[in-house]
Amino acid sequence: MSDIDIKRISYLAKLKLPSEKEEFYSNSLKDIIKWVDNLKKVDTSKTEPLHNVTEKTVSIRNDEVSKSNSVDDVLSNAPERAQNFFKVPKVVE
Amino acid sequence: MKNSISQIKKALIEKKISVGELYDEYLAKAKSGNNNSFNLVIDRENNISSINDSQNRYDNGNPLPLDGIPLGIKDLFCTKGIRTTASSKILSNYIPNYESFVTQQLLNDGSIFIGKNNCDEFAMGSSNETSYFGPVINPWKNKNSQKDNLVPGGSSGGSAAAVAEGSCVASMGTDTGGSIRQPASLCGIVGLKPTFGSCSRWGIVAFASSLDQAGPLTNCVEDAAYVLNSINKHDFNDSTSSNHQREDYLVDINNSFEKKIKIGIPSDYLEDVSDDILNQIDNTKKALSKHGIEFVDVKFKTTEYALSTYYILAPAEASSNLARYDGIRYGVREDGESLDDIYLNSRTKGFGDEVTRRILIGAYVLSAGYYDAYYRQAQKVRRLIKNDFQRILNEVDFILTPTTPNEAFKIGDKLDPISMYKNDIYTVPTSLAGLPGISIPSGLSKNGLPLGVQFIGNYFEEKLLLQLAALAEKELSFNE
Amino acid sequence: MSNNWEMVIGLEVHAQLKTSSKLFSSSPNQFGSEPNENVNFIDSGMPGMLPVMNFGCIEMAIKTGYALNFKINKYSVFERKNYFYPDLPQGYQISQFEFPILSEGYINIDSGDNQKKIRIERAHLEQDAGKSIHDIDPKYSFIDLNRVGTPLLEIVSYPDLSSADEVINYMSSLRQLLMYIDVCDGNMQEGSLRADVNLSVRKKGQELGTRCEIKNLNSFKFIKQAIEYEFQRQINIIDGGGEIEQNTMLFDTSTGETRAMRSKEFSHDYRYFPDPDLLPVNLSQEQIDKIKPLVGELPQDKLNKYLDNYSLDKDIAKIIIAEKQNANLFEKMISESTVKPKFIAAWLVGDIFAFIKENNLEVNSLNDKTKDITDLLKLISDDVISNKAGKEILPKVLNGEGKPSELVKELGLEQVSDSGELEKIIDEALVGEEENILKFQGGSDRVLGYFVGKCLKATKGKGNPKLINKILLEKLKK
Ligand SMILES: [Mg+2]
Ligand SMILES: [Zn+2]
Repeated sequence: MSDIDIKRISYLAKLKLPSEKEEFYSNSLKDIIKWVDNLKKVDTSKTEPLHNVTEKTVSIRNDEVSKSNSVDDVLSNAPERAQNFFKVPKVVE
Repeated sequence: MKNSISQIKKALIEKKISVGELYDEYLAKAKSGNNNSFNLVIDRENNISSINDSQNRYDNGNPLPLDGIPLGIKDLFCTKGIRTTASSKILSNYIPNYESFVTQQLLNDGSIFIGKNNCDEFAMGSSNETSYFGPVINPWKNKNSQKDNLVPGGSSGGSAAAVAEGSCVASMGTDTGGSIRQPASLCGIVGLKPTFGSCSRWGIVAFASSLDQAGPLTNCVEDAAYVLNSINKHDFNDSTSSNHQREDYLVDINNSFEKKIKIGIPSDYLEDVSDDILNQIDNTKKALSKHGIEFVDVKFKTTEYALSTYYILAPAEASSNLARYDGIRYGVREDGESLDDIYLNSRTKGFGDEVTRRILIGAYVLSAGYYDAYYRQAQKVRRLIKNDFQRILNEVDFILTPTTPNEAFKIGDKLDPISMYKNDIYTVPTSLAGLPGISIPSGLSKNGLPLGVQFIGNYFEEKLLLQLAALAEKELSFNE
Repeated sequence: MSNNWEMVIGLEVHAQLKTSSKLFSSSPNQFGSEPNENVNFIDSGMPGMLPVMNFGCIEMAIKTGYALNFKINKYSVFERKNYFYPDLPQGYQISQFEFPILSEGYINIDSGDNQKKIRIERAHLEQDAGKSIHDIDPKYSFIDLNRVGTPLLEIVSYPDLSSADEVINYMSSLRQLLMYIDVCDGNMQEGSLRADVNLSVRKKGQELGTRCEIKNLNSFKFIKQAIEYEFQRQINIIDGGGEIEQNTMLFDTSTGETRAMRSKEFSHDYRYFPDPDLLPVNLSQEQIDKIKPLVGELPQDKLNKYLDNYSLDKDIAKIIIAEKQNANLFEKMISESTVKPKFIAAWLVGDIFAFIKENNLEVNSLNDKTKDITDLLKLISDDVISNKAGKEILPKVLNGEGKPSELVKELGLEQVSDSGELEKIIDEALVGEEENILKFQGGSDRVLGYFVGKCLKATKGKGNPKLINKILLEKLKK
């Protein structure tokens, strides 16, 4: 097992761990990853990954429109809205 | 023994009680809130038209299957116009404008919701201690230390405690790795996790999509069949919902089996277990042997890998499923100078420790350089686990296991995550295989706490599974 | 100098599919609606909402597979591409990664006088994101989720392109094909077709350099500008002793320059994994076969037909096949009329297209006027009216001001083809022209033109010139 870069992982997960908690999570993750490492022993060279126990879908939609939800219902939980938009601080590219 | 749904319906039909009186009785208990089993209780005014409609149907002599039955709903099911929080701070103000498929079926069948059951945050936990709204207390006490508050199990801990304390007749839970069966066992009630694909996930706050499954927590097996009849339907809007023909789970529930039944007991599950747990298996074996059921020893090859597989796959899916909680379109938004700060602050402050931990695990096992070693390998092992179950279910009709490795423990007792994760050692493999499992009370521990056993059946054979559980229940029922 | 350098370009083209509903929800797939009007709870990423696949998108992908010579995969998998952006409500984009629906295709494009085969690595289905609007308020951005979930087909070429012109040809060929098979409206301004350009430079014959990706270019002009700027930028860096950093670039349309996106603390890691809410797509051979007839005639088929069956000039044929609507209009006119296709084609690419351009019309808007147009062309080709008169009447016909035959009468433009009448006029015109008649008989051809002009003038331009010519020759030779 390689070292866990907790800063990078929390960056990917959009979390800002308080510095005093970084070590806590980092150690906890290390323990868990070590614990699940036993999977490496299993020979899966002839095994396909299983995405889902159900392997055949019956839900395929025809290309038809059904009425979308109302703008007010879509926005009713918005922390901030402006007219019919969601509002956020400016996005800088 | 508490009243069953059929007994309550009989009383309603015979006008020994009105729908309103029944509702008030349960509501009063829910409102007293001794065990913190509800995040939200629905006031009478808000249910008054449902109560009246239901009473009218009784008066007119055409009640619906669950008419007037007060239910608790895990706070993971989106309920239209009723706050739905997943017991998380980040969703603590969320009011859905839609009703989950499963709860809609229950409403269609006349049931009335008492409130939203407390649960582990985003269903991540095995003791209901991760809830933003505080832990749920198990109504049961250890007879040797009465003052200790015990966990109800999790994540459907509030749903289990509510049924056990009598603040609803039955409740809805969700089970990802044991979240229905384990709390049912620790609270001395029945908990059923149907086959993956039986009950629609539409409108349930997602934890791990390939594992999440809704199911009932009830006082008895027959009640589970009542609820299952209502919720087990194909839903076009859930692409993983199966469209097989559903059966009436009540019809043969009290009948004996027509053919000879063989049950496998995986001996590898029983290594290093306490006498309390072994006793449960022995009790069950004895009780069912009387009915001519044969028990054989079976051996899994994959048991030791199940928890590892689960604790890679479930966090991976969860890390992605929980990406939508960002404070932009709904939920609690924390202040920030920039947009990025809003994201970071809302998510960091909005999620508790266990959820944060699982998001981090999930991001790690999916990240470049680790995907093949962890995520893909776990998916492959998952297939081996599924194959392992299928192999054994070719030899036997059912599998019997303990539901949990221990009785209910003290709140705050298990601090380290791995020992907490091990609570699900008997329920997780079934979840990975997508098979149905039911936990029924099987006896009391030395400390006078309830314990359960789990029966596992074949895909979509809930009917046979309930029939077996009902048979065992008759023999095993214990008094509180 | 830059003579020694060559550019190596691969393109990722995002084509919006013109389905009625979205890829995983049944909200309308429609441009130009009021903000957040075409959004349902699936699109806005509400808790517990689940995707259901739209088979219309699969059909369009299969059609594209046939048109772009792809291998059509029976098994494909939707995966989640995880990243955070306010336009992206779920916190991930559902796309295809390891198992795309189409792989290993190609198209042939014009390159100078030759054709060049451009290989296409793959094409996959994915959802579009929403839009952030930055220019309403200096401090806030406004989010419109209407575009969320719009189906995209991302077509990824190999780095087979080596000039801006080739890239433009490739893009326009793709656009032409996608419009032909009716899967994309090709409207680049509205973003229906957008390109990411991956460009690296190398000295001729050397190994591939480090590439930069210029994102989201939505016009041919910008593509050309961006490529030329980026090419020079990379050469300058290397010539200056520097190294190219692999970067994602934005193109600034106001300055014509590319610049690296604000550098991130960490590089991207999309953590793709199969979407557990969706099961793999498993297509049967029958499902795939059933779609083949829907592909219809492709531009190359039409070109061959126009050259072989209708004897059109290649240049004219190419103009007509450039867009399917042109070809449709042309073929409709052919089917409704006995006028020679070649004659129709000449008028179509000439005066008719000129009229469309001048009046800013859609080619399709003439679809209900084809009968009038061909009636007019018939009058011209039958010499009932002159070419000149035809040009005068055409705009009126296209404007719907009347039927061609009525207009001819109204305007008195009917050609005089009565030989008796013409003979009379010619006889009059020859009076007093003895000197010129002698010149003609002495071998001066120029005089003939003079006489034809004089006669036409006498008919006020309505005389049939061919007939006049014929009668004059007879008379002069006497
Ligand atoms: Mg790209
Ligand atoms: Zn893309």
